[in-house]
Amino acid sequence: MRTSLREDYLEAILIHTGRYSQPPCAQDLIEMLQFDESDVRAHLEELAHMGDICLRNDGRIILTDQCTATGKQIIKKHEILQSFLSEILGMDRTSASDEACRIEHAVSDETIDRLGDYLRSPVPQSPCGSDAVPNRYCLHGVQRRISCGNANVLGDFEEGERLVVRDIRGRGCSKRLLDLGVVPGQLVLIKRKLRNGSIVVQVKDCDVALSPEIASAICVERMP
Amino acid sequence: MKIALIGNPGAGKSLIFNQLTGLGVEINKYPGSAIGLECGNVCYKNEKIELVDLPGIYSLDGDSEEEVLVRRFLEKDGADSLIAVIDATKLERNLYLLTQIAEYALPMVVVVNMIDVAENQGLFIDTARLGAIFGTQVLPAAAVLGKNIDRILPLALTSSQPPTLRVPYDHHIEAALRSLEKTMATPRRKNLLALQGTGDDAALRDAAASVATEIEQRHHMSVGQIIATNRHNFARGVAAEVVKQSQEKKGFDLDSILTRAFPGIPILCLILFSLLLSVFVIGSWMESWIVGGFTEYILTPFASLGLHPLAERIGYSVLVALEAGLGIAFPFVFTFYLGLSFLEDTGYMTRAAFLADRSMHRLGLHGEAIIPMVIGFGCAVPAVMSLRILKTRREQTIAAFLITLVPCSARTVVVAGIVAAFVGIIWAFSIYLIVFVLIIITAIVISRLTPGEQFGMIVEMPSLRKPRIKLVLRKSWLRIKEFLFIAIPLLIVTSVFLGLFQYFGVIDIFQSLVSPITVSLLGLPAYASTALLFGIFRKELAFETLAVLSGTADLGSVMTSVQLYTFAIVSILFIPCISTVAVLYKQLGAKIAILTSAYSLVLGMLIGVLINILIK
Repeated sequence: MRTSLREDYLEAILIHTGRYSQPPCAQDLIEMLQFDESDVRAHLEELAHMGDICLRNDGRIILTDQCTATGKQIIKKHEILQSFLSEILGMDRTSASDEACRIEHAVSDETIDRLGDYLRSPVPQSPCGSDAVPNRYCLHGVQRRISCGNANVLGDFEEGERLVVRDIRGRGCSKRLLDLGVVPGQLVLIKRKLRNGSIVVQVKDCDVALSPEIASAICVERMP
Repeated sequence: MKIALIGNPGAGKSLIFNQLTGLGVEINKYPGSAIGLECGNVCYKNEKIELVDLPGIYSLDGDSEEEVLVRRFLEKDGADSLIAVIDATKLERNLYLLTQIAEYALPMVVVVNMIDVAENQGLFIDTARLGAIFGTQVLPAAAVLGKNIDRILPLALTSSQPPTLRVPYDHHIEAALRSLEKTMATPRRKNLLALQGTGDDAALRDAAASVATEIEQRHHMSVGQIIATNRHNFARGVAAEVVKQSQEKKGFDLDSILTRAFPGIPILCLILFSLLLSVFVIGSWMESWIVGGFTEYILTPFASLGLHPLAERIGYSVLVALEAGLGIAFPFVFTFYLGLSFLEDTGYMTRAAFLADRSMHRLGLHGEAIIPMVIGFGCAVPAVMSLRILKTRREQTIAAFLITLVPCSARTVVVAGIVAAFVGIIWAFSIYLIVFVLIIITAIVISRLTPGEQFGMIVEMPSLRKPRIKLVLRKSWLRIKEFLFIAIPLLIVTSVFLGLFQYFGVIDIFQSLVSPITVSLLGLPAYASTALLFGIFRKELAFETLAVLSGTADLGSVMTSVQLYTFAIVSILFIPCISTVAVLYKQLGAKIAILTSAYSLVLGMLIGVLINILIK
């Protein structure tokens, strides 16, 4: 069995366990990996034979401790690579994820550690404002270094533009924004912009009206 | 058996609640909160079920009044079952709240409402899959069509179960949660709150604060932001899994007209103007009927009873207060509420807030403040009550000052009855102009003086929809009830006191004491001061008392135009009516109540004196 295939299985089993708080059964893996049923059954048998997985009586698949560690390492690689590709290199999230899926099997631990350090190191001065947050957050908590260098605020863009939220400056009123879905990484569409700067954005299928000063506290980037 | 409805604003909770309970809804004030909870009883299979409609919220972690109330309700009172109502057309955003509700692990069922609208938009929702992810029963429903509404209660009674879902948080957060769980022996949900700096356990908050700082330093992002991002990402994943979009249908979007500066702003002005005009026309017509009927069938027979003069005085005062209350409440306030609730139910008021946002900024407020202001044109009492939608004390204070100056329907009666009738229509409008200029000046001055930061507006604009007449009626009725409970008792008490003062001659003493001001400074007849005093009690009573004291309804024959004009403007400006003062005291405290009254008293006098000096 190819290493990359084995690693894909370990990764899928861990992700499923994390997401639904229970290990997957064969059917779940077929759906997740989109392989043929017969292939999956054969692969699982092989993995069990190698001592990577155990089949529980209820048909659910659990990893041995050794493999859990390997799987976690793969997930970490995936996240770091995806962050790097999407945030630093500006690829869109889906292609970044696909690309990360391929690189993750080949990349060395050392490269990943160094890449992680690079992403984590803070940017000393951010043009996004004094209390701006240079680091970003993604799905599982990998921090990324992004300079706000060419980041703009929502108020700088025009009606009809599709943007990705990068950061929310200031505190105070940001809680409501977070609850309405204006979080880093979220796609927003400017539905209306009045000449005085008041803005209506569409977030998660909902329209939200914002005062000009709120619109200028949201750092955004054009959709890559 | 207690069942509570919970969900985002606009998810259709109220409509479902209304359909489940029908009539017999009451508002219970929740202890320690200004917000009322709507409760109703339903009988199902010989079992009495208490149904509670919790206020619509976006999150369970926030600190808005509604969010705190719902959180406390879930923690303290709990419910035998929760019915979480989510909007199928905005599934992802609604799932964000649902993940938080799930953390309370109370027995619940999920109702995916507006499934019909979603299907029209080409969205198909796999409710079975959604149920499997959350570990609860999920029922698709369409409240507007009444589809599946009858299945909600049976499902909640038989199949409520605590959801099994756990949102996977960032591993630093998870580690912090585990360590708090170990050291403090507190549940995950409380630890989550504590990490974000809320919750009522001080020791836990302290323990969480140090961990939170550490996480924040590592992430350069607040814990609240991290947690919200985790939940949103999770919700996005779930939505992607359960929603199938066939094709995007695009109908005509009314917002393409309404939210543009042109023609949006003219439309806004037109709508507000026609609302006020129709309230005034309908109100005056209804008031003449109510007051006429009251006088003919109650006051006249009462006067002919021939009671002891003191008893007659007191009884008369009570009846006049009732007449005054009903005469203003139903014709003006209720009609106004109908119109306003209608506009609110369509979702138009949020468009109005958006359009007005910039102008409101000049007054030190923001778009949302337009709602109390507009209500103020109907009556200041509900306007002050609605001030709690403004989040900061600063905004509430500024808005309170402005509301006491906004010409409410009772003041409109004074302007129409005195100035428009005896001086001229143009002069009546000039009063409005003066008042508006004063409002703007006041706003600019007060916003400079009031400490605090200015926050902007963040308001969801729900999709426009056809108003549901039943809901509009119910909302107006609940509001007028609130108004009657505050205003009527106050009116009766004040009226009896004024009656007694009159009986014992205190009024005459007052009149002679202030006559130097009335006569020499304002240039009014001495008895005008009494009329003004009665105006505190109810604004248009100033006008009626003036007619009584001057001995003729044809005021033009006893007072000059300047005198009438001065009288009108002074009575409009000076001291908000007693009900407003009382509700200001209740809502914002004695200081604001006294300050606004004193301010309007000085302002009224000043303008009156100015007019008297300048025009004479």
